[in-house]
Amino acid sequence: MIEIRGLVFDYPGGSRALDGIDLTIQDGERVAIIGQNGSGKSTLVKHLNGLLRPTMGEVFLDGAPTAGIRVAHLAARVGLAFQDPDRQIFAGKVRTEVAFGPRNLGRRGGELAAAVDAALVAVGLDGVADQNPYDLGYSRRKLLALASILAMDTRVVILDEPTTGQDADGVDRVRRIVSDLGAAGRTVIAISHDMRFVADSFERVVVMGAGRVLLDGPPANVFAEAGWPTLATTYLEPPLAARVGARLDLGATATEVSLIEALAARAG
Amino acid sequence: MSERSARRRADGIDDATTAPPPGADQLSEADAAYLAGLAPATPTAYHRQNPLTKATAATMATLGAFVLGGYVGPLAILVLGVVPGAIVAGLLGRLVRLAALISLPIAVSVALVSVFTRAGETVLFVIGPFDATLEGVDFAAQIIVRLFVIAMALGLFGLTTDPRALVVDLERRGVPPRVAFAAAATLETIPAMIERAQTIQAAQRARGLDTEGSLGARVRGVMPLVGPVILSSLTEVEERSLALEVRAFGRPGRRHLLWTLPDSGRQRLVRWLLVGLFLAVAVGRVSGSLPAPL
Ligand SMILES: Nc1ncnc2c1ncn2[C@@H]1O[C@H](COP(=O)(O)OP(=O)(O)OP(=O)(O)O)[C@@H](O)[C@H]1O
Ligand SMILES: [Mg+2]
Repeated sequence: MIEIRGLVFDYPGGSRALDGIDLTIQDGERVAIIGQNGSGKSTLVKHLNGLLRPTMGEVFLDGAPTAGIRVAHLAARVGLAFQDPDRQIFAGKVRTEVAFGPRNLGRRGGELAAAVDAALVAVGLDGVADQNPYDLGYSRRKLLALASILAMDTRVVILDEPTTGQDADGVDRVRRIVSDLGAAGRTVIAISHDMRFVADSFERVVVMGAGRVLLDGPPANVFAEAGWPTLATTYLEPPLAARVGARLDLGATATEVSLIEALAARAG
Repeated sequence: MSERSARRRADGIDDATTAPPPGADQLSEADAAYLAGLAPATPTAYHRQNPLTKATAATMATLGAFVLGGYVGPLAILVLGVVPGAIVAGLLGRLVRLAALISLPIAVSVALVSVFTRAGETVLFVIGPFDATLEGVDFAAQIIVRLFVIAMALGLFGLTTDPRALVVDLERRGVPPRVAFAAAATLETIPAMIERAQTIQAAQRARGLDTEGSLGARVRGVMPLVGPVILSSLTEVEERSLALEVRAFGRPGRRHLLWTLPDSGRQRLVRWLLVGLFLAVAVGRVSGSLPAPL
């Protein structure tokens, strides 16, 4: 379980990026964090593995405060894939890059190879395991960054904008990965600007604006018409399915599946 | 303000081939304010020295440390030249950290290689087939001292000189813009490299690399970074030069510089004195009239 209490964070130089965050995330939850550029999403998740330390407030992991625990140790429980893959990738070979994390966590030999292979298969990069990461395009480097976190088998997996730059196929892959992680009982936290992906793949949506949590709840509630003015303050538009559903008075239809069901129910 | 000068202002490119319009010397207040805003910030007297003066100082300190060798010479350059400059510029602490960071990876490899491979009389200790000799330790220490002094000298230049100021000043002295840009790009790579190394290292910590632990772990973390960090900085410079090219940077012809940097007879004198001092030392060293390095 992750508990964030009264979290305030100022970047050196004075700008306040987080302005009092209270949030509890249960084991096995799939949570999406959304909000306009600069609303503090990336800053927030960097507190969960200790890369950033609160200016005020506290972060608890499984009931114990993370203060004073090294990032390298938190990394065994919380995996974080960075927003920009190029700020993460450093190895000369795809396989070495993916092996870096699990190796640091002490895996060796067959266990290490199995973890690396499974992660590469999950993101569809098993065919390029021996290539140089910089010979891959941006979208595949992004998937590589994701694989290098998956290979660590952490109980909490955090993905910072995993679908950015992906085509429909790539988005589908990320969707599958999120749902597999959820099915395996792992906690998944993802930052995204893709409202359709958010509504489809997550059971809980946290809306951020100016370093605060504005809305928090299941997609159907967060994207319901009552929330639209709040969404607009952080420059978000609800997914198309929600807008169509509201226009046709079908109630809260955050996902296409629920929209189609509502339409079918009305027709039938 | 004419429409043309307004446009020129907006895209920051000067009209190179035509003569300036009549009355171009009298800037409107708004234009003057804009141009003043372009000039680099110069918080201290050291920052305000002409870029060429600072570059000369850094180059002479670097060459001097090489030519003098030993410990006393390079350390004298450090203590008498670089450190006072850094104090005036108000960034001694930052400079020391930066120089340590830059010289650490090379220092470690130099130490490993020379301590164990240098032949010598006095064996200090033995690890497997390797014996560490006093001569090896001495050699490594000399190299590391020189390296640190050079990193400090170049770092002081880098931290106090806006690369744009260097470009402008070199162009004013008739250096082709391309060469001036190459010089500035090199200068800009250093902070970019450091920033990049730090972010990648944060990502490595997020994947379980324990850099908060032992020195050994830190060094192990830095080593694999050196290649990719240098490579990606070079790519970045290449991309930037392409971006400049599409904005007609390479266009031939005369150009107007939007600001000039102060230079003075005294600074010119200082530069020639530095060069002269270095030449005297070099000649003294080669001819054997200076005592052997201590
Ligand atoms: N390293 C930094 N130094 C100073 N300020 C920063 C730094 N990183 C981010 N900020 C500032 O903190 C605020 C929050 O940034 P953050 O990156 O957390 O936003 P975000 O919600 O992830 O945005 P995006 O959708 O663009 O990724 C922004 O105002 C940003 O400018
Ligand atoms: Mg972000």
